[in-house]
Amino acid sequence: MAGNNSVNISFTVNGENFNNVNVPSRQHLADYLRSQGFTGTHLGCEQGACGACTIEMDGKAVRSCLVLASQANGANLKTVEGFDDEMMEKVKQNFLKHNAFQCGFCSPGMLMTTKEILLNKKKLTRDEIRSEISGNYCRCTGYQSIVDAIEECINEIN
Amino acid sequence: MKAAHFSYHEALNLQDAIKIKAHDDESVILAGGQSLLPALNMRLSSPTCLIDISKISGLNEIKIDGQTLFIGALATHSDVMNNKTVKNNMPCMFDILKMVAHPAIRNKGTHGGSIAYGDPAAELPALAVATNAEIIVSGQNGDRSINAKDFYLGLFETTINQDEIVVGIKYPLLKKGQKIVFDEVCRRHGDYAMAGLIANVMGSKNDIKDLKLVFFATGDKPDVADKTARLCLENGYDYDKLKNSLSTEIDFAGDLNSSSEMKLHLATVLIKKVLSKLEI
Repeated sequence: MAGNNSVNISFTVNGENFNNVNVPSRQHLADYLRSQGFTGTHLGCEQGACGACTIEMDGKAVRSCLVLASQANGANLKTVEGFDDEMMEKVKQNFLKHNAFQCGFCSPGMLMTTKEILLNKKKLTRDEIRSEISGNYCRCTGYQSIVDAIEECINEIN
Repeated sequence: MKAAHFSYHEALNLQDAIKIKAHDDESVILAGGQSLLPALNMRLSSPTCLIDISKISGLNEIKIDGQTLFIGALATHSDVMNNKTVKNNMPCMFDILKMVAHPAIRNKGTHGGSIAYGDPAAELPALAVATNAEIIVSGQNGDRSINAKDFYLGLFETTINQDEIVVGIKYPLLKKGQKIVFDEVCRRHGDYAMAGLIANVMGSKNDIKDLKLVFFATGDKPDVADKTARLCLENGYDYDKLKNSLSTEIDFAGDLNSSSEMKLHLATVLIKKVLSKLEI
């Protein structure tokens, strides 16, 4: 049998270097990140449906439950703990203002999806915002307040 | 749930991946992993070894190759959606891929992966069949080209050999007057369709000269409905007649969300929805 049951990989998380760490082949990235204290990455469904584990990998939003830790070799990762730039501070303030956090379980994924929406610099209607966040489940807000928050972010940035 | 144990091998190049795959018939190729990882996490699949081809360079090329649009296997759905060559030569691709899952999944999921996985509910296998695309695979004996209609055998089952890997797809360039139109019905944007249809049409709304209908999420593979397409060409849209024809032509397989009877109804309605998108 080719391959290994564990692999050594190097990558960065929020700018912090992880050099030559050993990860089990079958472990997905969300589990690895949580084991290292990045518990802001939430796990809901582990099949790509709920969006709670969405993180940034090399500048793009990905589901960390659908990426193996071993695939992150050489990657630059950013989790919700690293969302501290000016734009993301504004996004968080808008989420607070509109009460878009509530229980907070979906929030890390919602923030990441919002980040990608803002980076694409498109002016979106409320319907289009709903379509953009359709990959992120929220069981509290009915999405109304989240759409309010994202709408305000888009208006501020464009 | 968590995946069962498997070993992981990062392929250095295509030959390396082919060699390992050829010698371990329980190994599978990992490209974007957006269909494979859910299956592993839910333990619907338990391969011995994952051969990661995602870092092999040169497999994500998108170009015009003769009279075809070539899309390399590792081009992600996001790559394809944002590509100008695709936009200019196959405008339907953007609308189709927009219905494939969500942005974060499209950032990782690959074109070749979707083609090779052969999910009967997926859009791309049906598109490949509807457009008469050629699927290029690479193996120990070199490359070969397989017509999409011969590629899909059944549920997640293709004609690909153990030593072969999909390296790209060649879509014939559209001729003058030819259009690919598409629609699907799903419960939530980005979910798998309850039923979907890709139509390859020659002509305009009031003067359709040729029509090919390929359904997805209806049976165990992309379902070609030639008899129904002919009936539609000859008699126009008649719900009862087309429904009756589809019921004899496709073996509708119901699932948790929709019974086979419901899929038959949706498929029939989709013909009308799709044809209404044509220009007069």
